[in-house]
Amino acid sequence: MRNLLVLFRKDFLNFWRDRAAVIITFLVPMVLIYIFGFVFGLNKTGDAGPTGIDLAVVNLSSDPGALDLVNALKAEKTFHVITTTHDPHGQPRPLTEADVRAALHNNAYRFALIIPRDLIPDEGFGIHLKFLSNPRNEVETQTVNGVLQKTIFSNVPTLLGRSLQKSARRFVGGPRLEAFNRHLADSIADTFGGDRNRIFHNIEAGGFGIATDEPKPHDPALRTLDPASTPGTPSPDAKKATSAVGDAFTRIIHIETEQVAGKDVKNPMAARLVGGYAIMFLLFAASGSSTSLFDEKKAGLFQRLLSGPVTRGQILGAKFLFGVVLGLLQLVVLFVAGHLMYDLGLWQHLIPLLVVSLCAAAACSAFGMLIAAVSPTQGAAQGLTTFLVLTMSAIGGAWFPVSFMPAFIQKISHLTVVYWSVEGFTDVLWAGQSLGDILPTLGALAAISAIIMAVALWRFNRGRIFD
Amino acid sequence: MLTLQSTTKRYGSLTALDGVTLTIEDGDFFGLLGPNGAGKSTLMSLVAGLRAADSGSLALDGTPLGPQTRKARETIGLVPQALALYSDLTALQNLRIFGQLHGLRGRELSSRIEEALDMAQLTERRHAPVSTFSGGMQRRLNLVAALLHRPRLLLCDEPTVGVDPQSRNAIFEHLLKLNRAGTTIIYSTHYMEEAERLCSRIGIIDHGRILALDTLDGLLTRLPFEDEISFPSNDSTAAILERLAPNGVLIRDGDTHRFRPHANYPLSAFFSLTEAAGLSPRIFVTHRPSLENLFLHLTGRTLRE
Repeated sequence: MRNLLVLFRKDFLNFWRDRAAVIITFLVPMVLIYIFGFVFGLNKTGDAGPTGIDLAVVNLSSDPGALDLVNALKAEKTFHVITTTHDPHGQPRPLTEADVRAALHNNAYRFALIIPRDLIPDEGFGIHLKFLSNPRNEVETQTVNGVLQKTIFSNVPTLLGRSLQKSARRFVGGPRLEAFNRHLADSIADTFGGDRNRIFHNIEAGGFGIATDEPKPHDPALRTLDPASTPGTPSPDAKKATSAVGDAFTRIIHIETEQVAGKDVKNPMAARLVGGYAIMFLLFAASGSSTSLFDEKKAGLFQRLLSGPVTRGQILGAKFLFGVVLGLLQLVVLFVAGHLMYDLGLWQHLIPLLVVSLCAAAACSAFGMLIAAVSPTQGAAQGLTTFLVLTMSAIGGAWFPVSFMPAFIQKISHLTVVYWSVEGFTDVLWAGQSLGDILPTLGALAAISAIIMAVALWRFNRGRIFD
Repeated sequence: MLTLQSTTKRYGSLTALDGVTLTIEDGDFFGLLGPNGAGKSTLMSLVAGLRAADSGSLALDGTPLGPQTRKARETIGLVPQALALYSDLTALQNLRIFGQLHGLRGRELSSRIEEALDMAQLTERRHAPVSTFSGGMQRRLNLVAALLHRPRLLLCDEPTVGVDPQSRNAIFEHLLKLNRAGTTIIYSTHYMEEAERLCSRIGIIDHGRILALDTLDGLLTRLPFEDEISFPSNDSTAAILERLAPNGVLIRDGDTHRFRPHANYPLSAFFSLTEAAGLSPRIFVTHRPSLENLFLHLTGRTLRE
């Protein structure tokens, strides 16, 4: 028993001395749990889910309900609503449908809502909207669709009421509808309290009786239709009813959807999936090759090389170059495999894809060199690699859309190799962009490579590599 | 000629080399003898340009040495203490890489590689990965890899660690041959036998300082005795102890007596005495003083401590 305890204690001592093991055991899962928790809405603050997704809104309707809808969308944290652009003189002007179509093509933003002139059609019942998208990321598109519908249903019920009023006026005539509304307002006022005239005007405007700014009745019983529930908290029955109403709404709110870009992509999900996972494994491979520097150091090879005509910069440079070539080869193999499995349309985009792959491989290789240069031991390098690669993959868009992250993480994601690589692959495979179109992405990857490699070289040249 | 002038190297609070002044002439086989941690490898790394000295200077034929002086280092070869080889590659591939790094190409490279493989007795195993070699084979390859560019100054940092006696002898023969051909060699070791066998001059180093520097014979003259005779401690030898005492130093070491005669007391007188006492000469073992004795004399410690 004593021996068992001694050996048990020894394992703990070894564990705590191994920084890599500690990082992998505690830090990596914690960070990933936080990110996944946020994405799947598990955080305590309740403000989970996508934030700040650009949504262009073109409001062509003169109906006051349209403005309510725009304001409701602006209030929704998921969206960053854009309604204006600038004319050639730099003056702001309202967006047009042509503007948003061009911007969607250019990936300036990926979603647009057109509120047409016939928001509430003269014929039939319901409301009519047009949703345009550039669904580079299918998961994001589906989510945006859902949030958009929820926002319309939950925040703008008056639009539907207005449509009902309009239909009723058409079928029963204005005077009879007014009489009906008047009687309805009286009944509501008698039952729940409130000002009859305000209730009447609210019904006329498409509301359902009690205006949102109506003062609350003094008798709490009047506010609580279901005695089992607390004020403001819907009962299970009420939730069920709301759900049923929602289903009905789905049938009567007509959202015309149109995919503006990427219509020809045969397997849109695969373009991002293959790119995202390829870059993640490329990072692991690059870091693996860089940690071989530790093996060479341990073997005494640095002593042999540096006592001859070799410099530290040449040692790191050669390793970087090897990482670039191996990474490019790895990406080519993975994309060819992806093409064979999912028909990525590789051959149409071969040259731009090769250039993006080269830049991505350079960035990943530079990342590996930096890890090797800053890590004191091979174990530390392996721990740091696992932590950074998984974190960068999570926040850089390799696993799920960047827009699902908290706002500050979205900003950080723009500093990662994964983000720009995935953007580059998607630009080419999804949007079919040319070399000229993807220059900004290539520039970002090249800049990241140069900065990381410069830091790695600086550190490696000054590091105590013989200790 | 390699010169070190008041050379000091520190690692944090530890002074690994403490104001070493040293001159090694062309053609020397210079032994650097000291225990582990004495500063041997640090001195080697400074000469090889792997590290910079904190103070003092190093120069090879008047050209300063250091990490930034690549040109001067082209005439230096280093045999590191570790097996500095790409173990997954073959012997041939290793030699080709190191030769090319020194600017060798074409036929010249091929002939140097053949020569090196022959010297290391690895011609037959040229296509085998280094990881499949025995320790001795790896050590031999480690040595010849440093010779491809025919350095004028060869630094051997404990090159026989973990080597079987046969390979050790082979390495010694190569080194002596190289030295005879004019290569200056600095050989660091903590094995006094190696220093005694190989080196024309020996520096004894401890705690970063050169304690003594001379030829082997010159160093041994610093000892207060020339020979030491050991014999068993028993009743028959007890009779001669009283008569030996005035003529030297007697040390009781367990079941053995060690007698260090004064310089003016000849061994012939010793053996006449023991013969007269009826003792067989076979129980007496005569030792020549060694560098181990000198190190003990200088530091109060053995080389292995």
